[in-house]
This record gives sequence, C-alpha cells and structure tokens, in this order.
Amino acid sequence: MFFALTDEQQAFASTVTEFLAERFDLEAVRGVVEDTDGDGHPLTLWKGLADQGALAVLVPEEHDGLGLGLLDAQVVARALGAGVAPGPWLATVLAAEAVRIAGSAEQQSRWLPALAAGETVGTVALRGEGGAWDGSGITVDVNDGRLNGSASPVDYPAVAGLIVVAATDASGTPGLYLVEADASGLTVRDQHTYDGTARVGAIEFADTPAEALPGGDAAAVRALLARGAVLNAADLVGVAREALTRTVAYDRDRNQFGVPVGSFQALKHALADLHVAVTMAEHAVLFAAHALDTDDPGAAIAVAVAGSKASDAAWNATGAMIQFFGGIGFTWEHEAHFFYKRARRRAPLFGSAAEHREALATLTM
Amino acid sequence: MDLTYTAEEEQFRQELRTWLAENIPTEWTVPGYWATLSDEESFEKRREWEARKTAAGFSGIQWPVEYGGRGGTPAMKAIYDEETVRAHAPQTVNVLGLTFLAPTIMAIGTEEQKAEIIGPMLRNEVIWCQGFSEPGAGSDLAAVATRGVLDGDEYVVNGQKIWTTNAMHGDKIFTIVRTEAGSEKHKGLSMLLIDMDQPGVEARPLKQMSGASEFGEVFFTDARVPAKDCLGEIGQGWRTAMLLLSFERGASGVGQYTEFRRQYDEIVAEAKRFGRAEDPVARQELARCLVELECLRYHAMHILTQVEQGRDLGSESSMTKLQWSEAFQDLWEAFEHVLGPEATLSAPRPDVDLSPFHAQDHWSRSVTIWGGSSQVQRNIVAERVLGLPR
Ligand SMILES: Cc1cc2nc3c(=O)[nH]c(=O)nc-3n(C[C@H](O)[C@H](O)[C@H](O)COP(=O)(O)OP(=O)(O)OC[C@H]3O[C@@H](n4cnc5c(N)ncnc54)[C@H](O)[C@@H]3O)c2cc1C
Repeated sequence: MFFALTDEQQAFASTVTEFLAERFDLEAVRGVVEDTDGDGHPLTLWKGLADQGALAVLVPEEHDGLGLGLLDAQVVARALGAGVAPGPWLATVLAAEAVRIAGSAEQQSRWLPALAAGETVGTVALRGEGGAWDGSGITVDVNDGRLNGSASPVDYPAVAGLIVVAATDASGTPGLYLVEADASGLTVRDQHTYDGTARVGAIEFADTPAEALPGGDAAAVRALLARGAVLNAADLVGVAREALTRTVAYDRDRNQFGVPVGSFQALKHALADLHVAVTMAEHAVLFAAHALDTDDPGAAIAVAVAGSKASDAAWNATGAMIQFFGGIGFTWEHEAHFFYKRARRRAPLFGSAAEHREALATLTM
Repeated sequence: MDLTYTAEEEQFRQELRTWLAENIPTEWTVPGYWATLSDEESFEKRREWEARKTAAGFSGIQWPVEYGGRGGTPAMKAIYDEETVRAHAPQTVNVLGLTFLAPTIMAIGTEEQKAEIIGPMLRNEVIWCQGFSEPGAGSDLAAVATRGVLDGDEYVVNGQKIWTTNAMHGDKIFTIVRTEAGSEKHKGLSMLLIDMDQPGVEARPLKQMSGASEFGEVFFTDARVPAKDCLGEIGQGWRTAMLLLSFERGASGVGQYTEFRRQYDEIVAEAKRFGRAEDPVARQELARCLVELECLRYHAMHILTQVEQGRDLGSESSMTKLQWSEAFQDLWEAFEHVLGPEATLSAPRPDVDLSPFHAQDHWSRSVTIWGGSSQVQRNIVAERVLGLPR
C-alpha cells in the first residue's frame, strides 16, 4: 500500500511551484488580471511551463512527451491552481489527451509533439451553453465533415491553434473532431469572464471543415470529460489549499481585542473544518487520478467524488478567505479575489458539485 | 501510488476469509441481528466469539508473537478490520483494553504487567474498562478529582468515574487518579490498574438514549490497589494517559469505511422501498454522504501508508476522527431526512423492521462526543496542525 506521491512527483510539483514563485508570482498574475484587453497568455509563463515538461506530461515518449500519468499531471494542475496562474495549460493538455486517446497515428505525430512543446496551443469545445457535462450537452452537429453549432465556454479560443470539438452526427452519436484556428466558418467571441486569470470565449461553427478523430466515440468523449474533471479538481484543490494557508497565516498575526484573531474559537473551528475538507479533497483527487491511470472499475465513482469534493472545498475556502481577512480581503488590491473568482469559475466546469453528486446517485442507487 | 497489498498480506486475507466463512453463523449476517439481542446475550456471545478467534490465531494481528499476537503488519490489521466487517463479525468487547491499554503496557509496562495482563486480555478472560471521565472532568480530562492515598504498599482510592463503557461487565479498570494531595491539573496524577471485583468498587448502569446500557458509573469507596499496579511512574499519569491515547490510530478507517458503506447501501435500499430514491433532493443528500465516506476510504489508505512508513501521525489523527465521526453522523441524518416520517417508525409496514436502523441512528449521536468531542478535535487541528494561537 502506497497512497502518496512519490519523491519524483513531489519534486516535479516543487519545480513548478518554485518556477511560479520566482518567475510568475502574484504580481505577474495581477498584470494579467488587470490587462483586460490582453490575451491572458503570457509567453514567459508558457515557455517556462514547456521547459519544465509541464505540457508534455501525458504525451507518450514516442511523441516527445514524458509518457506519465494523470497522477503526475495533477501535481502540475494543483501547482497552477495554487499560483492562480493564467494560461491555456489545461486546455492544451486536454486537447493532446483527445488526440492521444482517439487520434490516428498520423494525427498523433502531427499534433502531439507540437502540443507537448508548447508550439501549438490547444483547447477543447465539449459542450454548448446550458448543457450538461456528460456528453449530452453537445450543441455542435457534424455532417459530411462540416461542423455547425456552437460551444461555450471554451478556454483560450483566441490563442488556440488547434480546437478539439465534440459534435453529434445525424444519428445523435457523439464524436471528436479537430479544427484548426484558421478554418473557414469559425467565429470566436470573447465572453469576458470575471476571473481575470483566464480568457474564455464562445465558438460558432458555420459549415466549418473538421477532421474526425477515428477513435472519438461516445466512450472517448466520456474519457476526456473524466480527465478534464480530475485535472480541474486538482486546480481547485490547489486554489483551496493556498487560500486556506494564506488565511491561516494572516489570522495568526492579525490582532483585534488585544489578541490574534486566530485565537478566537469561531475562526479556529471554521478553519479546522476547512483544513479537513481540503485534505480530503486532495486525497480524492489523488485517488481519482490513480483510478483513471489504472482503469480501475470504480473510476467513475472516484471522479465524481473528486469533482464534487474539490468544488465544494475551493468554493468554501475562497469564500472564507475573504471573510477571514476582513475588509482588506474585499479590496481590489488584495489577492483574495483572484482565488475566489478562479474557484467560482472553475467549480462548475466538467460538472458542478451537484452534477457530480447526481452522477454518484445514479452509480450507487 | 500502489494501492495493492503484498502477496503475503493477500494470503492472510484468504486464510482469514476462510476461517470467518466457517465460523460466522448465518444468523449473524442478517442486518440488525445484534440489535435483537439483550445486552447480556450480546455480550456473552461476543465474549465467546472473541475467545474462539484468539484460539484460531486471529487476534492481536499487529502484536508481537511473544504477547500472543500474530506479528503482522499494519496492512494486515487493515485487512483484518475490512474482512471482519465484511463477514459481519461483531465488534470486540475488549476494545478499550486492546486498543489503548495493551500497546501502552508493551511500551512502558513492567515485565510483570506484560506477563499478567496482555494474554488474558487477548483471550477475553479479563475485560477492561477505561476510567478517565468524571462528572467534572470530561473534555477537561486533567480536572480529575478521584484521589488515591498511599497506605503501606497499597493505594486507597475514593471518587467517581462516569460514562464508563462496559462498566457492568468490566473486570478491571485503568484509571487516572490524583495521587498527590493538593496537586493541580496535569501534575500529581497516576494511572492505576484497579480490580473492579472488590468491595470498594460499585458499578451502576446508565441508560442511554437508545435504551441500552453500554456505559455506566463507577464509584470508588476505599477501594484498594497495590502500588505495583501503577502503569508508568507514580505522579506521571498524565504522560502515561497521553501515550495511551496516542494509540487510537492506525488503519481502522479501512474497516470503518466498509461498515459505513454497507449502511449507505442499506439506507439506499430503504429509500427505494419507500419511493424516495428518485427525489432529487434526497439523491443529493445521500450522494453528499457517499462523498464523505469515499473520502474516508482514501484517507484511510493515506493513513495506512503513513503508519507503514513509521511516521508519527500525531495530531493528524484528530482529522481522521473528525472525518469518520462526522461522516457517519451525517449519513444517519440523511436517513432521517430522506425517509421522512417513516424513518421514526420501527414497523412502518408489516414486513419492515427499522429498529436496527434506529439503533445506528441513535449511536451516531455519541461518536462526536466520545474519544474527544468534535469541538476538542477542531481545537487540536487548529492549534497543533494549523498553528493558530491558543
Ligand atoms: C458512548 C460513550 C462512551 C464513553 N465511554 C467512555 C469510557 O469508556 N471511558 C471514559 O473515561 N469516558 C467515556 N466516555 C466519556 C467521553 O470521553 C466524554 O463524554 C467526553 O470526553 C466529553 O466530556 P463530557 O461528557 O464531560 O462533556 P463536556 O466536556 O462537558 O462537553 C460539553 C460540550 O462542551 C464542548 N466543549 C468542551 N470543551 C470545549 C472546548 N475547550 N472548546 C469548545 N467546546 C468544548 C463539548 O464538545 C461538548 O459539546 C464515553 C462517552 C460516551 C458518549
């Protein structure tokens, strides 16, 4: 029994965390948040991540990747969440996963090395406005290799060179399709999320030529959504842990009534409960990543547990961060809103906490 | 990560499974069987079962062979917990002695104590009680007022303990007693091992909210205990108590998960039976419980890893206590919510008996009190894990 990260995985996490601390700290994040017209894709950060192998984690070695698993990938996601780092990391990793899982040999050798090296930014368009995250929420149709419809919200559509689109054919069967950024009939509309650490948009497809991923069946769509759910949960866990750590550090030193506010039991108990919840969410993400890596028959349950627990933990920890910093926590100058907004934006992605719980009910009731 | 067990550990699982299959009567596997027995019947059956299990070599899994144990690994203990729950084996009646006292004796007991106490405890010949709490010393354990005065080579003990589990069945009790007159708080306490079968000791049952009387009060009136029956040094009882309490950890979460998960499935089955399984709110509530139970399972694997690597869990065990006790209690809250008015009826339909569910439901109210209340655990997590000021 070894339920923990290996030394290598921990070292990997540290390199990303240290890189962010040295080269892309909260001041740099603020720069992106306040540059509302910018593309939210700072190249220093992107190149740095590519150099660390953070984009190549899941790409097989024969395509210039590291050939590792989701357990390794989630350490990157967690570090990026903790650093509230902007950029299309998750979008690119998932696009590569789609090609790896469902692409032809030719598609793989064309796209995987470029995605792993950060030369091409990828993204995924897996659901339409108001749709569910189980493959039933797709609002793009495919006919004769042409896509029509829309997808939203999509991460970083404006900088993506490759878009993986989920679309249903005439018989209603979902599949996965590749669309290049310069394809005809493609309109990208910026949706201006309130989370300044990301750029998201809607994509309209009007007779857009697309190339099918031959293995992109309903199961592949579900596999991709499950991977997205776990990596998204890892990001949320990173956000939650960092929000909590910063709050605890502040309340240890902040004095009111002549004592540190952290000595008041009302705060202590709330923070203790959050610590337990965040720790459980960390365990849940580890287990879910491992379950997917090993094709565990209980993987669907594990993913739903991780998705809902991480959502709730991040939601609660970032709300508490603002509350337990007091007035300063509500200011623009303070960093609490970076964490809060990122948690709120990400919590519903790849399935909200409630959607994951409904999935659990279906699996066990 | 590697969530498998070694071949040797799996071999142990097989042996244990086979033995359990041959030795657990079918009637025990009927849900709620134990709740149908009187306290007395249930205790005697469990006592006898325990002795049989020990004779077969399935007790003291993690204990050294020299103490009658099996010399197994923490993982084997986890497997043991899981398999016994899965097979519907009853909980041991000597849980307080086996969990707390035995490891403490192995660590700091005299040779005489090791020889005299551990074997009979393992075979259930001597049932041990834990006499820590007093009417005025619950969460504030150091406030004990029970006194012991040296008279020759014996201590004479006077005072009262309360909430003592198995008070009516206990043969011996490990107690915290103030042996230094006028001392305060943590100072001047000793851990005395007192014979309950003597004129100066009187146990009275306390009826619990469930109607059962698993705990009681113990009164000491000039009870006598030989000075050699002090565990650890005289006057160092607090240190002994802290060491003793530190043994409530390890791999038990694996077994707890197995048990609670079965209860979740039983509650789901009732929800279906009463037409509540399609209600979206009920589904959310049950799934929320399942999330916490699954987290308990993952957490148990994490804890097992820590234990196997020889790490001292320290205050992390307070997190474990919070997670399992709150998750268990929430599950039974959900039972009440989801079933609605039927939940309180023992026989809502002629063919349905919900009384075992009620026993669990009522028991769930206690788990956030004993073993350090949830509030006390939160203090520990906040102060010792998060480093918040006292
Ligand atoms: C089923 C059961 C079995 C038990 N078995 C045994 C046994 O075998 N041996 C034994 O010695 N004891 C036993 N106990 C006793 C148990 O350990 C105590 O009940 C427990 O420690 C709480 O103490 P108390 O009952 O005096 O409550 P109190 O300490 O008076 O607590 C009352 C309330 O105040 C809260 N509180 C107390 N201190 C604080 C604080 N610092 N901050 C915030 N809130 C606080 C508590 O959480 C609780 O909600 C058992 C109890 C139960 C319910």
